[in-house]
Amino acid sequence: MRFVSLALKNLFRRPVRTILTISGVALAVAVAVSLAGFNLGYQGAIERSIDRLGFQVMIMAKGCPYEAATLMLKGGTGLLYLPSDTYDRVHSDPDILSIAPIFIGIAEKKNSSIREDASSALVVLTGVEPKSITEMKPWLEFQTGEGYDGGRWFTPGSSDEVVMGYEAATYEQRKVGDSYMVSISPYGRSESVLKEFKIVGVLKRTGTQDDGTVFLPIKTAQSIFNRPDQLTILGIKLKEFSGVKLEEFESRWIKLPEVQVVSLEQVKSTLVMLIGTAQVMILAVTVIAILVAVIGVINTILMSVYERTGEIGVMKALGAFRGDVFQLIWLETLAVCVSGAIIGSAIALAGAHLTEKAIKALVDIGIQGSIVTITWPVLLAAFVGAAVVGFFAGLYPAWRAASMLPVNAIREGIG
Amino acid sequence: MDSENTIALIQARDLKRYFQRGSETVKAVDGIDLEIRAAEMVSILGPSGSGKTTLVQLLSCLDSPTGGILIVNQKPVNGLREDELTKVRRGLVGFVFQKFYLLPTLSVAENVELPLLFYRLPVKRANTLEVLRRVHLEDRANYMPNQLSGGQMQRVAIARSLIINPKILIADEPTGNLDSENGIAVFNLFRALVRDHGISVVVTSHNLALGYRADRILTLSDGKIVREEKGPR
Repeated sequence: MRFVSLALKNLFRRPVRTILTISGVALAVAVAVSLAGFNLGYQGAIERSIDRLGFQVMIMAKGCPYEAATLMLKGGTGLLYLPSDTYDRVHSDPDILSIAPIFIGIAEKKNSSIREDASSALVVLTGVEPKSITEMKPWLEFQTGEGYDGGRWFTPGSSDEVVMGYEAATYEQRKVGDSYMVSISPYGRSESVLKEFKIVGVLKRTGTQDDGTVFLPIKTAQSIFNRPDQLTILGIKLKEFSGVKLEEFESRWIKLPEVQVVSLEQVKSTLVMLIGTAQVMILAVTVIAILVAVIGVINTILMSVYERTGEIGVMKALGAFRGDVFQLIWLETLAVCVSGAIIGSAIALAGAHLTEKAIKALVDIGIQGSIVTITWPVLLAAFVGAAVVGFFAGLYPAWRAASMLPVNAIREGIG
Repeated sequence: MDSENTIALIQARDLKRYFQRGSETVKAVDGIDLEIRAAEMVSILGPSGSGKTTLVQLLSCLDSPTGGILIVNQKPVNGLREDELTKVRRGLVGFVFQKFYLLPTLSVAENVELPLLFYRLPVKRANTLEVLRRVHLEDRANYMPNQLSGGQMQRVAIARSLIINPKILIADEPTGNLDSENGIAVFNLFRALVRDHGISVVVTSHNLALGYRADRILTLSDGKIVREEKGPR
């Protein structure tokens, strides 16, 4: 028999109490691991999402740039538009490597299979030029296989051809050659118009907002929404992207009335900051959970020490040194904390998907992909952290037990 | 045996253990002269509060005297700290208490082997079974304590104290929780340990009939030895 096995056997003399204490530690560790995973995953997800927009700078109508960026990421209503001649003025700028005019309109899909109640849903229709958008997003490819073969971009002048993102097509159960109908409310008109399109291609999954988008020729989009001379944004890639170049570029075009120049780097840092408040709150909850767990552990081990006062006295009478008793009680505390860390980490790993859903439901800013990334270093940190907490939480009960004089301990135990 | 009997394992001269309880000084042990020799069985009798338990705690280095001289295994122990007393005690003294203090999650054999953990000695199950055989419980090695009777639990506690081959076994009211039949069995076991293994046994008891089965019988009153008698054997 070793001290470790004796400590473990001692813990299960009161199994319910031990399991409850371990559960407290596990809960605290699960929260801590999930938070760490969220911190780690969120920033990466924002960067991936914004990088996948394909451009570094946006020119858009004046308004809140971050709201506009969010709209770009997840769609939505309340879009602002800028004059389409902005494109003519800007596209010849010497610092521009490529430029993509984009028009976004929100349509309504009646009897949508996107919603379980089969009522209407909003659909993002994005008007683009195939040439410029594929320059910006060279990773866009067409889905192949039965029902998807022969996918292509629409012809620029076409008025009824669309390309669907992977998720949009999957939700609507549409394939190449199928028709697609949406209800559009043209600007300035009171009645909506039902418009039928033909699907000429379905894109492969990209893991970005493009998966839920329906692409159509920009002229067609402007026309059906009755905004022939308007754009939503100009997406721009610069030949050289740096703070200085961006400032120069911005200063040239900020003079234009009704438009603003927004760097996606700024958007990234702002979106990271936006979540900061929520992170501080979660961190506070985590710290409280850890403190409660530590107090619970100390309380449990102390109770166990007091209950075994006589037994500890007899152990000393049988030859145990103070250090032996200290080691035994300290190992019991450590075992509780390490067990809690293992179980808590497993819960965090198993529940990462749910955590992600919950966070996205609370703070939906349109970030695609996983925002909770639980890595081995995070798990290792949780394990080491729990061991360190166990080390310190065990000191006091172990010291109390080790300090008992055998003669007093035996007397109290008998009493 | 006679030459062995002359070796004093424990010597006490004018041994005192006073406690302060408020303004009152309680003289639990008050000037006792005593020798415990090898391979003898000594009973300490007396009413409650006569100082029996305090005396055996001093003799076994669980407590330090407040006066007099105490020499254990030829080492003076007055003024030693707890861990130093433990060092003197280890390998010399085995204990049996009124309560058995068996660990409920350990089997009988594991309970017996517990002191080996503190002595950093390897566990040899054959040795454990041999010790259990001495207390007639070799067939209960894998039982859990809650499967045993009170008498059997006390015999496991005795086996636990014997696993380190002590020279002295100190038993404080070992029959206090047992019926008369089991009490006699425990005392017979002590006699066998003295006779067959040369272990000294110091035992306190309220039970005069049992106490008089020892080689020497000391009667305590108010912390003093008031009578010393030879036993029937």
